[in-house]
Amino acid sequence: MGQTIWQSMQQKGYSRREFLQFCSAAAVIAGLDKSSVGQVVSAFETQSRPAVVWMHFQECTCCSESFIRASHPTVIDVLFDVISLNYTETLMAASGFQAEKSLSDTIRDNKGKYIVLVEGSVPTAEDGVYCMIGGKSGESILQTVTADAAAVIAWGSCASNGCVQGAKPNPTSATPIHKLVDKPVINVPGCPPIADVMMGVVTHLLVLGQMPELDDIGRPKEFYGRRVHDTCYRRPNYDAGLFVEAWDDENARKGYCLYKMGCRGPVTYNACSVVKWNEGTSYPIQSGHGCIGCSEAGFWDNEPFYQHLPSFPGFGIESTADTIGATVGLVTLAGVAAHAVLTNVRKKSVIEEEHQDDQKE
Amino acid sequence: MSTPVIGAAAAKPVANELPADYKRIYVWEFPVRLFHWVTALSIAMLCVTGFLIGHPLHAFYAAEAYQQYWFGWMRFVHFASAFVLVAVSLVRLYWAFRGNQYASWRNFIPLTGAQWKSIWELITVEVLQIKKYGRYHVGHNAMAAFSYFILFLAFLFQTVTGLALYSNMSDARLTHVFNWVVPLMGGDANVRFWHHAVLWIFVLFIIVHVYLVFYDDYVEGGGEMSAMVSGWKFKRDKRED
Amino acid sequence: MARVVVDPITRIEGHLRIEAVVENGVITDAYSAGTMVRGLEIILKGRDPRDAWAFCERVCGVCTTVHALASVRAVEDALGIKVPPTAELIRNIMETTQYIQDHVIHFYQLQALDWVDVVNALKADPKKTAELAQSFSKWPDNTPAYFAGVQDKVKKLAATGLGIFANGYWGHPAYKLPPEANLLAVAHYLDALSWQKEIIKIHAVFGGKNPHPNYLVGGVPCSIDTNEVSAINSDRLNLVAGLINKADEFINQVYIPDVLAIASFYKDWTKYGGGLTNYLSYGEFPTRGYNQPEFFKIPRGVVLNRDLSTVHPVNPRDSEEIKEYIAHSWYSYADGDKVGLQPWKGETKLNYTGPKPPFETLEGFEKYSFLKTPRWKENAMEVGPLSRMIVGYAAGRSDVKEAVGATLSKLNVPVDALYSTLGRIAGRALDAELAMSYLKEFFSDLMVRVKNNDVSTFNGERWDPKSWPADAEGVGMVEAPRGALAHWIKIHNGAIENYQLVVPTTWNGSPRDARGQRSSFEAALIGNPVANLEEPLEILRTIHSFDPCMACAVH
Ligand code: HEM
Ligand code: HEM
Ligand code: NFV
Ligand code: SF4
Ligand code: SF4
Ligand code: F3S
Ligand SMILES: [Mg+2]
Repeated sequence: MGQTIWQSMQQKGYSRREFLQFCSAAAVIAGLDKSSVGQVVSAFETQSRPAVVWMHFQECTCCSESFIRASHPTVIDVLFDVISLNYTETLMAASGFQAEKSLSDTIRDNKGKYIVLVEGSVPTAEDGVYCMIGGKSGESILQTVTADAAAVIAWGSCASNGCVQGAKPNPTSATPIHKLVDKPVINVPGCPPIADVMMGVVTHLLVLGQMPELDDIGRPKEFYGRRVHDTCYRRPNYDAGLFVEAWDDENARKGYCLYKMGCRGPVTYNACSVVKWNEGTSYPIQSGHGCIGCSEAGFWDNEPFYQHLPSFPGFGIESTADTIGATVGLVTLAGVAAHAVLTNVRKKSVIEEEHQDDQKE
Repeated sequence: MSTPVIGAAAAKPVANELPADYKRIYVWEFPVRLFHWVTALSIAMLCVTGFLIGHPLHAFYAAEAYQQYWFGWMRFVHFASAFVLVAVSLVRLYWAFRGNQYASWRNFIPLTGAQWKSIWELITVEVLQIKKYGRYHVGHNAMAAFSYFILFLAFLFQTVTGLALYSNMSDARLTHVFNWVVPLMGGDANVRFWHHAVLWIFVLFIIVHVYLVFYDDYVEGGGEMSAMVSGWKFKRDKRED
Repeated sequence: MARVVVDPITRIEGHLRIEAVVENGVITDAYSAGTMVRGLEIILKGRDPRDAWAFCERVCGVCTTVHALASVRAVEDALGIKVPPTAELIRNIMETTQYIQDHVIHFYQLQALDWVDVVNALKADPKKTAELAQSFSKWPDNTPAYFAGVQDKVKKLAATGLGIFANGYWGHPAYKLPPEANLLAVAHYLDALSWQKEIIKIHAVFGGKNPHPNYLVGGVPCSIDTNEVSAINSDRLNLVAGLINKADEFINQVYIPDVLAIASFYKDWTKYGGGLTNYLSYGEFPTRGYNQPEFFKIPRGVVLNRDLSTVHPVNPRDSEEIKEYIAHSWYSYADGDKVGLQPWKGETKLNYTGPKPPFETLEGFEKYSFLKTPRWKENAMEVGPLSRMIVGYAAGRSDVKEAVGATLSKLNVPVDALYSTLGRIAGRALDAELAMSYLKEFFSDLMVRVKNNDVSTFNGERWDPKSWPADAEGVGMVEAPRGALAHWIKIHNGAIENYQLVVPTTWNGSPRDARGQRSSFEAALIGNPVANLEEPLEILRTIHSFDPCMACAVH
């Protein structure tokens, strides 16, 4: 412990010049402009590898899996050179009470200085029995662990908005982290979040030693400030009105816009179309499927996915606002027509009266 | 039924003049008429373009992406009409405090017992037609006024949700005032869904409203249709207002 | 007599608690408890069947894709949709890729540290390590300089707190590898971590991302067109071809040799962890459609009582074959807790009756897990790579027999050695080796189709819900990396009426059934030694050999 990144690089035989190169690369990763490299340099020079714990609650572990897919920096770079990851059920050597000891030692020895990464939502129903670790409820563990944390990052849609287990009817009262801890939480949604985005957020925090700028719902603007749609390479087709009309049709092969196949890109804030997935290999739209909105709160309930808009609540899965609107519209037209007939029957006398009055003059 | 009271204008009947018992009243001032027709036009545009944004046509496929921009235009017209509508509504809002009695905001919000009574009377006389006669109204009748109120709310909702959606694609300060809407409604997808759904309130309004204007003119013969152009309505003095 | 509690069991997916009764250094009884539930079967009700794959895929991010595949198969089965052969090939490519990546991560990241002493690796001589490595593999990184670098890296880590390696059972007498073998394994631990993110790019090519690539009822979402830049074209196919070649090298020059090398030091572990004697495989990799299992690469069937002379047929539609019990699970059934339900009639009603947290033990509680207990004709079954090998072997599949035979002879152990903790680990390596060869085959078949321009990837006949019957039921079976997986769906008026998942780790990790029969985890622990009650390394070895996935098991 206590070693700065610069010291560890010196030990590895890196020169000062290489160190500065590394810092400017790190700055670029963190989305900083060149002028802030100075800041980065001093951060790396003075900060030791901070203690980090990674908590697991109601999750599918895809966030952990995504994390190890990172390409710049790689997970090995991060685990050996950037952070001291003292607890993560997925990768740590220790089990059982030795694992619990790693956690409690870290909290005790790094009061106010360690970072908590949370994967998964926490179920609050029934005293928390729907997620228990070591005989303790997830909620009580979360409170203990975050109490003295320097920063809390909520990984993925589970931790930031409840994800799939929070979808209706949310049988376990799966709850996102920011609703349970009263300190600022950095939400990094996505199911899972993009590996390089996760690394970007970690680097941003550690390199600058400060919170990345967050939007109204706690997401780093750096990666969640734009919609998938705003930077999608199929956008010119959208503006031109060129759409895929059916899966694997001619238009699909041409790479037309997937809007009519239900693409949620226009309502989804994420970096997919720029950062892309798996070292820039692709992203959902590039491989032919629309965005399902996996980084948006409650996206599971915006069903069905293959329709531009979700179905109308309470009217069965195939009813859209338009089928209902058109039906009501037709009924209204019919009503109006009926009313016109009724008027001519019932109001005949009144109208005639008026006419006679006029003729009397 | 009381004998018609003969108005001043009827004292000396001339060939081209009004029938004896009609009075000519200036109801719709210019700002109201301007508002009305600009509103009618922009709402029609918003409904058509909005619907097309939700259901893009399966057409124009001959051309390449760089040769056309029709969906982009559709959105442009939607936004342009939206801003026109916002502007003209602000004018109307001002006029609701500044204009004549028929333009006043008081007509629109059913706060008084009399207004509710009048709505009930209209339902019985004009909608269900169980009763034969009701009262004649110079400005809006209370139910029409109420429908404009609903329309106003719907429009307010569209403005707020529309600007919230718009704010996310623009860096304009004005639109960012509406940033709070998205988290409140649970994400862009929901905002968009409701923005789309409320389209149908406008469609229903247009059907009913246009019909009623014709209906009133037909039944009451007060020149409702031309009134929104000229500003003048005609009132028969035989029934109490 | 002592009750040893290990919770959390780490280096698995999810939340597993083991309580083992140890007498005189040997386990005499064991309880396996899944302690997290999300209720996906409840959440799926009423939704569009075409969307179900996305919900189901989120059951697990470790074996991502397999639940999506099971789901689209279930829906296609219910609606009578046949996917085009090209789409079937792409699905096979996705899944073989998943096998390979999943097995490698499991071996190095999740399981190796039970057999490899990281701290002891610091004592190794890098030169001797290189010699050892070169003796069984021609992997280019097997050089003294490389191993010295790795050793350096670990030294530095050790000097600043071991991070993820802290508090391991280092120095435990059950670690048997010499320092050089430990260093070799640590080096490959790091290599595997770098490599896994490469192979999985295949998922990104066809499914847009990993974890959780996209699927589609009726085919796959990507289109193939070698004259278009946005479709799967020569560039994308080249990328996949390159990744396959690299994976092939890694599997055959690193993973398989490492497994054999490490196994040769631990042959005593062919005596422990055998557990159940029944093995189930649903079969996988259709070559002529989902409904022709006789043309699957891996056969479907059951081996009972380790009797390799008979492979029993499996029918998931039969109301008497596969059933789930909840006698010891935190659920309740309308007809009482003793009955078993065929999944089409399955129920998911949470009913926690365990101790209120915080608690010390589950001892004395009738119900002790969120896993239901599946049975095949009332038998407890082991599922997973080992079961696939055993069923394949019994069915006389030549590729399986060859691979199994070669490994047994290299290790110089009899066939019975397979029925053990070590056998399970070896079975998984063989499974990866076979999957690698299938992957190459599927990819070259795909290239043939591309050349012939026979590339339709979607069948849209039943895409529109208006074309569906009012009622339909289907079952989607998959051999997932961890074993037999199936989803049962009932569709009513275009919406999901009932959806039940019975998952590999549900088979293996479940509590006992109404008749008291143990499932795999519990059965396999019995008879294991525990040298030190404070450091129950042996429990981890046997449990890890199953590659538990609790998010899958409970869902
Ligand atoms: C009468 C009033 C309005 C109606 C009926 C209307 C209707 C619609 C409809 C049906 C859509 C398509 C939604 C979808 O299917 O995704 C839409 C989109 C939209 N509307 Fe409106 N709208 C109205 C007013 C406004 C206003 C005042 C604004 C303010 C700027 C606005 C901004 C938008 C925006 C930003 C979109 C999304 C367009 C896109 O992202 O391509 N709308 N509108
Ligand atoms: C898109 C279509 C239309 C919309 C949105 C619309 C909206 C409105 C609104 C908001 C008012 C209240 C005016 C005020 O007091 O500020 C109004 C009144 C009126 N409109 Fe329209 N209008 C539409 C079409 C028409 C058409 C086509 C006509 C005639 C043919 C018409 C005739 C009238 C008349 C006569 C009034 C006064 C009604 C009364 O006495 O209450 N409108 N309309
Ligand atoms: N058990 C299990 Fe899975 C697998 N393989 C799923 O079906 O891991 Ni998450
Ligand atoms: S956010 Fe999605 S990917 Fe991450 S753990 Fe939750 S379900 Fe898995
Ligand atoms: S494919 Fe989706 S994100 Fe891309 S332009 Fe079309 S609607 Fe937008
Ligand atoms: S589905 Fe998710 S991965 Fe990106 S393109 Fe959409 S946010
Ligand atoms: Mg189940």
